[in-house]
Amino acid sequence: MIFAYDAAMIPTYICGIVALYAVIRVLTEKKTLKKLVLLNVMNFAITGLIVLSIPDIMALFAGIAYFVGSTLESNAIASTFAGGKANE
Amino acid sequence: MPGVVINIIIAVLLCWILFITIDIIFRLPEKGGVSGANAIGTTIAAEKGSLHGGFMMGNIVCSPDASAGTLLAACGVFVAGIPGGLIAAVLVYIGNRICHDPGYAGTTGALCATFMVAGFGLIGIPADAFIAGMVIAILTIQGISHPYASHLLTRLWRIRA
Repeated sequence: MIFAYDAAMIPTYICGIVALYAVIRVLTEKKTLKKLVLLNVMNFAITGLIVLSIPDIMALFAGIAYFVGSTLESNAIASTFAGGKANE
Repeated sequence: MPGVVINIIIAVLLCWILFITIDIIFRLPEKGGVSGANAIGTTIAAEKGSLHGGFMMGNIVCSPDASAGTLLAACGVFVAGIPGGLIAAVLVYIGNRICHDPGYAGTTGALCATFMVAGFGLIGIPADAFIAGMVIAILTIQGISHPYASHLLTRLWRIRA
């Protein structure tokens, strides 16, 4: 039953499709700073997927930790490309 | 199936309006909060984009702002109701402080989104529709066309400024 689907799963599918789309855009983009903007879309979609797949309070903490951590990494990479602390 | 899709479309519109409004009220497009956000703004502006819209997109990347607050509050309400949304707001504030940001936009966004998602839950739009809606809303800003999105954000910022 490949084509069987559940209407309640549509939000999960949307998150998965958006994450895949973002990954393809990241792979085809050349500038690192613009890659980070597209990667942010993937982070949103994966956070949604984590919580939608496991509706549990600990999955909420895991999702938030994943999101904040990935944002911090993007921040660090972007700031390094901008010249780091010396440029602030 | 049509009901689920209509719920998600309504959620996209509500999330989009909420996070753009709060980000612009808290002056995110004015300047990059950290040097990385500045660099992203100028890179987008250099490729037929617009500077203030680029700064706002850079700020969204570099720190959890109202869009992240909306997503995480929707996740919190989905898992644990209004208390879950409030826990998400506290964690967004901590995340903001880690990312060298005052944290007003993210926390306000999370608190507003908690009550928005819980309120619309009462009239039949579930929280998972808001999670998918926020993912699509951020896709329209950050994922489709950076020049068009930055020009749109700059136009909205001029109304505020």
